[in-house]
Amino acid sequence: MAGAEQTPTALPGAPALAPALSLRGLVKRFGPTVAVAGVDLDIPAGSFYGVVGPNGAGKTTTLSMATGLLLPDAGTVHVHGVDVWARPADAAPLIGVLPDGLRLFDRLTGSELLSYAGLLRGMAPDVIRPRREDLLTALDLRGAGGTLVADYSAGMTKKIALACALVHAPKVLVLDEPFEAVDPVSASAIRVILQHFVAAGGTVVLSSHVMALVERLCDHVAVVGAGRVLAAGTLDDVRGGQDLEARFVGLLGGGQQEPELTWLRPSSA
Amino acid sequence: MVATVLRLRLRIMRRTLGREGWRLVVLIFGSLWALSALPSVIGGMVWASQQSSAVAHDVLVVAGTLLLTGWALVPVLVPGLDDSLDITRFATFGVSTRRLVPALLVASLVGVPTLFTALVCFAPAIAWSGAGGPGATALAVLLAPVALVTCVLASRISTGLAARVLGSRRSRESGAVVGLLVAALAVPLVLTIGSLGLEGALEHVPTVARVLGWTPLGLVWAAPAAVADRDLVGAAARTLLALAWVGVGIVVWERLLHRALVRPPSRGGEVRRRVDAMLPTREGRGPGARAAAAIARRGLRSWSADPRYLSSLLGAVVAPVVIVLLVATVVDAPAAVALSMGPLMAGTIGWGRHNDVAFDGSAFWMHVASRVPGWSDRLGRTVATLAWAVPLTAAVGVAGAFVGGRPDLVLAAAGASVGVLCGGLAVSAVFSALLPYPVPEAGANPYAAQMGAVGASMVAQAVTSAASLLVCAPVLVAYGSALWWRASMAPVVLLVGVVGGGAVLWTGIVLGGRVYDARQVRLLARMR
Repeated sequence: MAGAEQTPTALPGAPALAPALSLRGLVKRFGPTVAVAGVDLDIPAGSFYGVVGPNGAGKTTTLSMATGLLLPDAGTVHVHGVDVWARPADAAPLIGVLPDGLRLFDRLTGSELLSYAGLLRGMAPDVIRPRREDLLTALDLRGAGGTLVADYSAGMTKKIALACALVHAPKVLVLDEPFEAVDPVSASAIRVILQHFVAAGGTVVLSSHVMALVERLCDHVAVVGAGRVLAAGTLDDVRGGQDLEARFVGLLGGGQQEPELTWLRPSSA
Repeated sequence: MVATVLRLRLRIMRRTLGREGWRLVVLIFGSLWALSALPSVIGGMVWASQQSSAVAHDVLVVAGTLLLTGWALVPVLVPGLDDSLDITRFATFGVSTRRLVPALLVASLVGVPTLFTALVCFAPAIAWSGAGGPGATALAVLLAPVALVTCVLASRISTGLAARVLGSRRSRESGAVVGLLVAALAVPLVLTIGSLGLEGALEHVPTVARVLGWTPLGLVWAAPAAVADRDLVGAAARTLLALAWVGVGIVVWERLLHRALVRPPSRGGEVRRRVDAMLPTREGRGPGARAAAAIARRGLRSWSADPRYLSSLLGAVVAPVVIVLLVATVVDAPAAVALSMGPLMAGTIGWGRHNDVAFDGSAFWMHVASRVPGWSDRLGRTVATLAWAVPLTAAVGVAGAFVGGRPDLVLAAAGASVGVLCGGLAVSAVFSALLPYPVPEAGANPYAAQMGAVGASMVAQAVTSAASLLVCAPVLVAYGSALWWRASMAPVVLLVGVVGGGAVLWTGIVLGGRVYDARQVRLLARMR
């Protein structure tokens, strides 16, 4: 691989390059509920960035607005200096998206879906064909390439969607819960792909609520809660000596009383 | 169980009515329409009561057969009417199908159509109160609930079977078989009626009614007639057979529900394709053209493999045939009726695409994330329909000209069909980016009614219908003038249809592309 011997150039304290993804004052309301209440975030180029937060914190909404899939009520998003909402056609080729909970065209087979994703991006068939084969092999979907996506398991669906996000070789990958429902073998395959991508100069942003995973993979992290960024920066800065989970619970003001369901035991009728 | 499910059904109805004002409007207008239709039904029955029992028998059996056929066919041809409780929602409660079926049957009796049909089912009692005597009247009253349950079962079984057949991965083969069967039945029927003439065909009604009286469609209506004719054995036999058919219907329905529960159609049998049908062998000319070609190929796949597309295909192709056949029995202008088949089918197919984006559901995000140019998206979707609809509607138009005995209008019929198809697709290209409304999700029952959709779908359907009529007006006027004024206009109709239709379609794609570019993100937000 061409970028294997390159080392990431961004060192802590060195002057920052133009950020890969820059969010300013993002707001999104759904009726009376405020899902995202003013998010500012700079994601440095070449970083492996984790966004963590509890259910309903606004992770998916923020990432959807950052990738041009959901119109923000206020705020701006820049990808490598390109305004996502002012110049969408220029921004789209830079971004690869794996949304959470959205469907795929399930009457296509896995390899057809991958070709379709490439063709939608306007890629030439001769470029798509070898990439399709590489991606199916890398994600261990070779045997399922001829099966309809409708017959895929949850984990296989995640993997083929990830392949679709990679096929046009984006500069920034935005992944919403990429490891959910994925088995450990496939998860490690995905991890290797993502680490190579970052080593070659790409940027990965992923959301998760598995702290251990984020601690292991990411070099930067942002904690969001109630539609705001509570803490953001390098992993060590955010942790501040603690482990991430403890810091996370601290930031979110955990320590609720443990609920007791006294009747919930096999012996009681 | 019956009471619980019935309460659930009523509660769901109340909540939907509360959330959706439009549904209440529809309910009130539906009820008013049903009430206004009742006097004519009763008037007909009063008339029948003054006729001989033989005439009353013929009228009641034919009308009753039509009612039952309507219950069986309309929900299949017009998707989105089946608002029954979905049995898969009960899957996690561990209740056996056997216990659920009576409850679901009772619950599905609640609603305006069933209420109206119930009143209609009691109407034959009026017809028999004159010539038939008290015995026939009493049997008519007793059989009314049987008739109603038969109607409801017919609709549930027909949609259940259709969903099953369309959802199976072998749907293309079975679709072809069904199509052939319909053609094999309809063509001789049309030819017979055509050769006999309308008057001649009417003379055969008594024979037809006698045969229908012994089929599941006519038993309940024929039994009181047998009492009126003092044929008590015949009456008893028909009554028992009618009850037996209800029993068979319940068993068949239970089997369908059970299969829906243990083997949802979306997971039926794996399909493996070696060849990647999306990737073309040739280079496209530029990124936009490549995307458009891919979208067209994916659309063609949907037309052959997606139950929702197949059910709308069934409606778009079969419904015009049924309408034309029904009109042909009433109107005494066979040529005009036969000649209207092509444009009518073209219209339903073209107009039917006015909600095309909603069928993608949230998978549409792939188009948005790739920022596919609007014209590519519009062009791809249009080509996917044009590819099969142009030959089909042109052929139907030509066939209509020959059947109607006007071979001189062949060019006009083909031109009008293509023109109307292009006009409908042009309107759809603009409005599918403007006014989407919910449709069943991919893999769900294609006949299920959509909650929260009445207002949006009524507005979108009314607007697109009006726009389609407006856009197609020139070619229709030209066609009408060729039909009623000068047959020498035929080449002009062809020209207007193909060139004018092409221009309108091109405009629709360009305009729709601009609308799409401006609204694609908002459009995605409305998908689910």
